[in-house]
Amino acid sequence: MAPPIDPRLLRRGRATRNFLVALAVIGIGSAGLMLAQAWLLSRSISTVFATRSTAGVWGWAGLLLAVFTARAILVWLNQWLAHHSSAAVKSGLRRDVMAARLSRPTDSSVSSASMINLITKGLDDLDGYYAKYLPQLVLAVVVPSIIIVAIATQDITSAIIIAVTIPLIPVFMALIGWTTEKQVKRRFAVQNRLANHFADLITGLPTLQVFGRAKAQSTGLEITEASHRDETMKTLRISFLSSFALELLASLSVAVVAVTVGFRVVFSELDFTTALFVLILAPEAYLPVRQVGVHYHDAADGMAAADEALSIIEAEELPSGTTLPQPGADIEFHGVSFSYPDTDRAALPRLDAHLRSGTVSVLRGPSGGGKSTACSLLMGFLAPGEGTISVGGTPQAELDQAAWRARLAYVPQSPGMLPGSIAENVRLGAPDATDEQVRDALDKCGAEQLDPARRVGDDAEGLSAGERRRVALARALLRIDVGGAEWLVLDEPTAGLDAGTEAAVLDAVRHTGAGAVVVSHRATVIERADQVISVGAAAVAGGAK
Amino acid sequence: MIRLLRELLNEVPRGRGRFALSVLLAAFASGASVALMGVSAWLLSRAAEHPPVLYLEAAAVGVRFFGIARGVFRYLERLVGHDLALRMQGALRLRSYQTLSRTTLLGRRRGDLLTRMVADVEAIQDVVVRVAVPFCSASLVILGTTAMLTMFSPASAAALLGTALLGGILMPWLAQRMSLEVDRDAAPARGELSNTVDQISHAAADLVAYGLTDEALERLAGADNRLRTAEARAAWVRGLASAGQMIAAGLAVVTALVIGSQAVASGDMLARNLAVLVLTPLALHEVLATLTQSAQTMTRARSSLARVLATLEEPVVGAGDRDNQTDSETTPTLSVRQADLGWPGSEPVLRDVNLHLTSGERVAIVGSSGVGKTTLAATAMGLIEPLAGSVELRGTAAYLAQDAHIFSTSVSENVRIGKRDASDTEVSEALRQAGLPLDPDRLLGEQGRTLSGGEVRRLALARILVGRGGPRLMILDEPTEHLDNETAENLMRDLWAATADDAVMVVTHDSQVVSNCTRTVELTAPLMTR
Repeated sequence: MAPPIDPRLLRRGRATRNFLVALAVIGIGSAGLMLAQAWLLSRSISTVFATRSTAGVWGWAGLLLAVFTARAILVWLNQWLAHHSSAAVKSGLRRDVMAARLSRPTDSSVSSASMINLITKGLDDLDGYYAKYLPQLVLAVVVPSIIIVAIATQDITSAIIIAVTIPLIPVFMALIGWTTEKQVKRRFAVQNRLANHFADLITGLPTLQVFGRAKAQSTGLEITEASHRDETMKTLRISFLSSFALELLASLSVAVVAVTVGFRVVFSELDFTTALFVLILAPEAYLPVRQVGVHYHDAADGMAAADEALSIIEAEELPSGTTLPQPGADIEFHGVSFSYPDTDRAALPRLDAHLRSGTVSVLRGPSGGGKSTACSLLMGFLAPGEGTISVGGTPQAELDQAAWRARLAYVPQSPGMLPGSIAENVRLGAPDATDEQVRDALDKCGAEQLDPARRVGDDAEGLSAGERRRVALARALLRIDVGGAEWLVLDEPTAGLDAGTEAAVLDAVRHTGAGAVVVSHRATVIERADQVISVGAAAVAGGAK
Repeated sequence: MIRLLRELLNEVPRGRGRFALSVLLAAFASGASVALMGVSAWLLSRAAEHPPVLYLEAAAVGVRFFGIARGVFRYLERLVGHDLALRMQGALRLRSYQTLSRTTLLGRRRGDLLTRMVADVEAIQDVVVRVAVPFCSASLVILGTTAMLTMFSPASAAALLGTALLGGILMPWLAQRMSLEVDRDAAPARGELSNTVDQISHAAADLVAYGLTDEALERLAGADNRLRTAEARAAWVRGLASAGQMIAAGLAVVTALVIGSQAVASGDMLARNLAVLVLTPLALHEVLATLTQSAQTMTRARSSLARVLATLEEPVVGAGDRDNQTDSETTPTLSVRQADLGWPGSEPVLRDVNLHLTSGERVAIVGSSGVGKTTLAATAMGLIEPLAGSVELRGTAAYLAQDAHIFSTSVSENVRIGKRDASDTEVSEALRQAGLPLDPDRLLGEQGRTLSGGEVRRLALARILVGRGGPRLMILDEPTEHLDNETAENLMRDLWAATADDAVMVVTHDSQVVSNCTRTVELTAPLMTR
């Protein structure tokens, strides 16, 4: 079984550690109040039992109410504190996950959609962990120990029964979990496949309808649902066993304590007050342990979310050097190659190239041959697997990455837009640019008819694919014209966008004396190049072939 | 929601019986833990009177029985309850699928609705297992305990009933109401956070390239802060319910003590029953503590099921399935005359469309996005009727979707979507023609994630090529969208070759594709009249 508290979460900050300490204090307080409650109840009941009079009852009642009120306050405090620290941890994780995403902007191992899901909904699962599981876990350690000690001072036999049975609960649960793990895992895989059948059919409905096959699938769905239920029930029969063991041990132990104590009272080995005191406390000793079992699934979801977040955060970061890049330096690729982890195919097979300052180089090669990867390496989004990229003789890895990127004006395959006006999006290239400069950049990129004040919605809504490309080109051009960047790095647009704009922008770049690295296989672009570099030519055949 | 539950219970074989059984088992399980405390208290009190041991044996057996019974009944109840929940989920899934399959979905931009539906339907499980069964069984236990205690002291039993309603019903309800309100206040902050993450994530490469990392993180922190403030208020409220339940338990115990002592002093009640009267409420209130959680689960489940119901009750649009009759003898001809096109029951998206198309012709349909190109395709295939004018198709039509769904099964089963009884040879031939040299037995993962964009397009092409007869009307929807230039050019070369004899209508914005067509029709949206 995984450790109940991920040590990485503890290491991440004071929030979690302080929270655990506060929980322990609250746990001690609650246990003390439980003792007071049991003492007051056993005293009052046995007094009335012995004297058959109501003398002093109002006093007991008042004290009991006070104890219950105090317990209520602690319960409230416990929950409030739990939510509070959960929120603090979530904020920290959100920021760090996002920062990690930005430190590896082209890493596709975690899709954008699942990243969004993790940061918004996924991390909310931590609430279950922090607000329910962790407090219970602390209570499950603190409360039973205090209660056992308190009972031991009154009646050592009962204390021994409880002290022996409580540790048995986790032991039995672990044993059952351990022996059934394989079976549950195998069943779970089958169950998962069956469960996804419905999702597959529902999302594929438009396709099925086009082929006139939708209605016919409903019989198949009915059969799958039935076998899904069968499989799930088989799994549940096994996996509910551990909570069965928990419930059984907890309540049977209370029963054993009650019966043992009862018979000793008959033979006057134990007085009534003590017996009541033990009976009231015994279930309270087992309750927090049982609750841990109840909240185990909340915890599992939360831990899964935290684990996902932490593995994104703790993936290797690309180091940034401190050397400032020299102006007007050449860029050289020396035997540069790159493979994504867990793949046997190189994303970029060996590349050697010399890009002279102020010249235009075109990268061409088959689809999937590594042209975009070469751009990402140059931008410092990825580190070469082998070989080095050097800038004026300095390895690119030793450069201050922010200063290096300030020399580059990048247009990715599908450029990102932020909500705001077109002008604001162009100005990302050079924040101090004047309105005229923005207008000028748009004009040079074939976007004469675009109004800089026009709004752009989420994810470039309101712009056509072609307009989006032009705004991104204008942004890059502004970075060269006004921001003083020395290289245009231009990835190839997706199919259907005309290449005429690219050619015009290249002319404009040349005019400023800056250089360019362009991915393209269009004649209009290639005829403007000083050199054409083949990338990954021999490695793969193109596209789907 | 109650109506839906009732209907689904009726659809499940012996549904009501199963529900009653799981409520009873749950009540026995909770009842056992209340009885364990009550009988134990009686055992101790009786023992304190020092009777012959024989008098205690029955009670001792009772205590041991209840000690074992709780675990056993709980285990059985969970099995019966989950089985019922799964059956009801199956029934709801089937119903959702059947309803949705009757209405035309192509081109209605409802992808997110379909995905959400899958998750929403699961809420029915929570409703059964975590809401309906716990509330019904807790009510039974409250009534049963009250009835038992009435034998000792009616006044005390009445007080217990009152506090049980306070702790078991009123407190959970109040907590649910209040947290609902606070959650509603937090919703805009939550939306803002999700938007911010979405924006930053999509523009990540640009933000880093232009040195805007810190600004992006600051924006995230701002959105996160506003959500945190809103959530802090929610945390305040949530703890109140549990605190209220603790107070209710205290009231129950204290009133039992006061009333019971007076009854003992006046001789109305045997002294040995006092401990039963005072300690039973303690156990009962412990049973009620879980109901706060149930109330919050209900809130979530109710909004999920409301969305499902809203979708199921929408009016049926179009034919659902396309008519599968193949007529490969007739030369394919499509005539659209002065047609107004649109979804039934809404304004036309296209007015006065005229189009004539026959074998050997290639027509490019162009127009800005959202102008209704897919609506034209759906009408041409007969999935929906034109709102006015006439649309006549002779021969058969085939449709190559831009976002064809790849099912998580084998390559050959995916191809056979096009022709159910296609032979292995036909499947291999279709794959060859589509330029997709894949093993027909290869299993494709979820939504074809193991295939590249070009391969997905080619697999969809194989589907419409499998076991084809004579020429057909071929409708190609944005065949090159989202592909890189080279992949697109290769695909189009094979696609033109495979459709040489057909009447081809290609919806596109790709100028390369347009230049390969014999004719271009530009669609324009009708002027908005408001």
